[in-house]
Amino acid sequence: METILHAASFLLDWHILLAALAGVTWGIMGGALPGISPSITMALLLPFTYTMDPTAAIVLLASTYVGAEYGGSVPAILIRTPGTNAAAATVIDGYEMNKQGKAGLALGISLYSGFIGSMFGLIMLIALSGPLALVALNFTPMAYFALGILGLSVIATLSGENLVKGFIAAILGLMIATVGSDPVTGGTRFTFGSSELLGGIEPVMIMVGLFAMSELLMQASKRGSDERVRSRPRIQFPDFKLAKRLIPSQMIGNGIGTFEGVMPGAGGTIASFMSYNEARRWSRHPEEFGKGSPEGIAAPETANNTVAGTALVPLLSFGIPGSNSTAILLGGFLIHGIVPGPMLFQRSGEVVHGLYAGLFTATIGMVIMGILMLPVCIWLVNRPRPYLNAFILALILSGIYSIHNETFDVGLMMAAGVLGFFMRMLRFPFLPTVLGLVLGYLVESNFRRSLVLSGDDYMIFVDDRISLSLLVLAFLFIGGSIAKRLYDTFVRKPETITES
Amino acid sequence: MFTRDFVGGVATIAIGAVYLYFSYQLRTSALDDSMGPGGLPRIYGWLLVALGSILIMQAALASRTTAVVTASGEEAKGEWEGQGRKVVYAFGLLAIGIAYLFILETFGYLISIALLITTTALYLGAGFSGRLIAIGIGGAVFLYAMFVAILGVRMPAGILAVLGL
Repeated sequence: METILHAASFLLDWHILLAALAGVTWGIMGGALPGISPSITMALLLPFTYTMDPTAAIVLLASTYVGAEYGGSVPAILIRTPGTNAAAATVIDGYEMNKQGKAGLALGISLYSGFIGSMFGLIMLIALSGPLALVALNFTPMAYFALGILGLSVIATLSGENLVKGFIAAILGLMIATVGSDPVTGGTRFTFGSSELLGGIEPVMIMVGLFAMSELLMQASKRGSDERVRSRPRIQFPDFKLAKRLIPSQMIGNGIGTFEGVMPGAGGTIASFMSYNEARRWSRHPEEFGKGSPEGIAAPETANNTVAGTALVPLLSFGIPGSNSTAILLGGFLIHGIVPGPMLFQRSGEVVHGLYAGLFTATIGMVIMGILMLPVCIWLVNRPRPYLNAFILALILSGIYSIHNETFDVGLMMAAGVLGFFMRMLRFPFLPTVLGLVLGYLVESNFRRSLVLSGDDYMIFVDDRISLSLLVLAFLFIGGSIAKRLYDTFVRKPETITES
Repeated sequence: MFTRDFVGGVATIAIGAVYLYFSYQLRTSALDDSMGPGGLPRIYGWLLVALGSILIMQAALASRTTAVVTASGEEAKGEWEGQGRKVVYAFGLLAIGIAYLFILETFGYLISIALLITTTALYLGAGFSGRLIAIGIGGAVFLYAMFVAILGVRMPAGILAVLGL
C-alpha cells in the first residue's frame, strides 16, 4: 500500500507524465513500422536519455515498450505485416476482420485488450518485484557472482535454433565487457592506446549498433515490402456484449503473459502464440478462429501487453533482462549509474516508484494516443522505406554523436552494427551478447573479489548459501534447456520459436 | 559446402584466436590477484575457440546427414552461397555512414546530415527527384532543430560557422 501511495505521488510530476506520454507515442509509431521492433524503437531513444532526469529517462523507455507492443498490431491488422514479433499472432484474425470491413473494430479490440494487459501487467509488477528484491538484500560478492551466472544461464533459453551459437554470442558480450579498466587492479585491457576506451565500452553504443544499425544494414541488403494501407479506418471499441465475450480470452492472455514475462527468455512472442492457442482451445466459438475471431485478437494482444509489465520483474528484482527490450531498459538504467537488482529498491526507490507511476500513465496514455496516432501510424506505414530508413540512419548517427560529441562513438556503434549484421546473417542471437556485455563486469569483479576474500578457495561459492542456491538454479536452467533440446532433437520433431 | 554454421564457426575461431593473442599480451604485476587481468579473458578466448570448433563439427555432421543431391546428380548450393551480394549492399550503406563521419567536421552538421539523408535514400532506391532534395533538406533542418536548438547539443558547425550555425 505504501508503495502504491508513494508511486501515486509521482502522478503529479509533469516530468514523469510527459515522459510517459512521449514514450508511449514514440512506441506506438515505432511499433507500427514493420521491421522496427520494440527494442529498436527503445534503442533509438537511448542516446537522448543521457541528459534526462533518471526517473523520467526510465519511464520514457518503459513507456515506449508499452506503446510498441500495441503499435505492432496496427500493420498486423491493416497490411498483414506484424510491426513486432509479438503481434504475429494478431495477424491471423486481425487481417481477416480487416478483409471483412471490420478493421476499426479489430484495432479497437487490440487497443482495449492491450490496455487490460498493460494494467494487469503493472499490478503484477508491483506485487512481485518488491518482495522478490527483499530476498536478495543479503547478497555477498559470491552471491552477486552467482546471480551473474544465473543471468547468463538465461542464454540457454534465448539461443534460438542452436545453443552453441547462444554461448558464442554471450562470450562475445563478455569479451566486449573486458575492454577498459580491470575491475580489481585498475590496469588497462584491450584499449590499444585509445583514450576513448579507457572507461570501457558503454552498452548503449553496442545496443544501438546491434539492434538498430544492423537492422538498417539488413534492410539495405534486401528489398522491402511495398504493401500500402488502402483504407482509413477509425478505431471502434467493442460494445458491452462483445467486451463480455472477450473476458475469458483476456484472462488467458493475462495468465500466460504473467508467467512468460516473469520467466526470463520467454517473451511476448511466445506468450502471444500460446494465448492464441489456449483461447481457441477454451473458446465457445473455436470454429471462428482464423476467420476473424475477436477473441483471436484479444488473447495475444492482452498477453504481449501483460508481458511488457511482468518482463520487468526479473530486471528490477535481480538485474536480469529477460528480453531484448528489457536489456535496452537495463542499458537506460546503467547510463544513469543505476544498477537494477537487489539494492535498487533501497538505493533508488524513487526511480522504481516513478516507473510504476509512469507505466500507469503510459497505459492510460496508450488508449488516448492509440486513437489519436492511428492516422499518423497509417501515414508512416505508407512512407517509402528508402526515406524512412535514411531518416532513421540520420537519427542514429546524430543521437550517438550527441552523447559525448565524439565521432569515435559513432564509429564504435557502426562496428557493433557490422557485428550485428553478420550475427543476423549467420543466425546468431543478439540477446546473449547484450547479457554478456551488461553482466560481464558483475561476474568478473565479484568472482575475483570472492577469490581474494577466500584466499583462492573456490569452495566459498558453495559455502555461501545464497550463492549455492543461485548456482544450482543456473545449472538446472542450463541442464533443463539442454535436456529439452536433446528430447526435441531425438524424440520429438524440432519446433522452435525465436524472438529477435 | 559452406553453411551458415560453418562460416560462423570459422569466424568464431578467428575472433577467439585474435582475442587470445592479445589476452596473453596483458601485463601482470606483483599487485595482481591470483587470477590477474588476463585470467578470465584467456578463459573466454579458449571457450570461444572450443565453441567455434563444435559449431564447425555440427555443420559438418549436418551437411553429411542432409546432403541434398538434385535429380541431375548436381550438388545443391550451400546456404551461404549468394550472400556476398547482400554483404556488398549492406557495406554500401556503411560506406555512406563512414563518409558522413569524414565530412562532419569540415562541412558541419547541417550540410552533412542533409547529404547523408539524400545519399542514403538514393542508395536505398528512392529516385532522384525534387522530393528527394526536399526531404534531405527538411530532414536536416528538423534534426538540427531537435538536437541543436531544443536539446542544446553542440554539433560541428564546419563551414557554416561564419553564419553562426
